[in-house]
Amino acid sequence: MLNIDCPWCGKRHETEFRYGGEAHIARPEDPAKLEDTEWAEFLFMRTNTKGYFAERWLHSHGCRRWFNVFRNTVTHEIVGSYKMGEKPPKLPKSAGGTK
Amino acid sequence: MAETEFWITPAAAIASAFPDGLTELSPRAQVNLRGDAEDASFMTAVKTATGIDLPETPNKAATGKEFKALWLSPDEWLLVGEGEAATLVQNLEGALKGQHFAVNNLSANRTIFELSGPHCHHALMKSSEVDFHPRVFAPGDCLQTLIAKAQAIVEQVEEDRFHIYVRSSFSRYVGAWLAEALAEYRLAD
Ligand SMILES: [Zn+2]
Repeated sequence: MLNIDCPWCGKRHETEFRYGGEAHIARPEDPAKLEDTEWAEFLFMRTNTKGYFAERWLHSHGCRRWFNVFRNTVTHEIVGSYKMGEKPPKLPKSAGGTK
Repeated sequence: MAETEFWITPAAAIASAFPDGLTELSPRAQVNLRGDAEDASFMTAVKTATGIDLPETPNKAATGKEFKALWLSPDEWLLVGEGEAATLVQNLEGALKGQHFAVNNLSANRTIFELSGPHCHHALMKSSEVDFHPRVFAPGDCLQTLIAKAQAIVEQVEEDRFHIYVRSSFSRYVGAWLAEALAEYRLAD
């Protein structure tokens, strides 16, 4: 079970959160101008990273804020949490895993 | 309080059999307030209407004259008290006129269980993954979490006294759970 650090509430158990998939996917500026394939790319295509990965989480049973977590999808190591609009934390020097 | 005088919740059906240390409180005003904590005019208007300095530190409660405010999220608080909810809503709407805010009377949304006595920490610890040890969770602290997998607000009102806010439809389940959680300590006393 993960212990996730909500940027507001602090460390809480995984059961209080909901997963939101890959972070930092920018919504297209002008969706009406997109081809269907480009729109599908934005909506559905994700990198499915093995290793260090920036992802969104929602503190659904707590403060109900969305935020980002930088996590290793292989080892479950959590490098850090950060608010929407902030940059992901730097990888530790000792970081293992694959990218 | 006239508005809530005849309200009962599903927990009322089992409340008479609750052990010492567990009661369902009579209904009280609960008003949800949203606004920008970094906007000084918002904070000042709320202070004028309620006497409360809204807590900006997560998971803290602050008291005013008639009502207290529980921190729910960076732009959201729950105002709780024994005064009239309708009057509080009116006062807030008056003081905040022209500003960007939301005030909603949610008094019927949750019922409040009071858990007290020397074993209340233990009953909570059995029911949640949050650390409620006095070392980390003190009077004036409040938080939202799962109690026996049901969403709840937990507030420590004073030493060895907790208020647990649960949605009315979950109240019979959570009430029964807490009663069960306390049962083993009754035997020990
Ligand atoms: Zn939170």
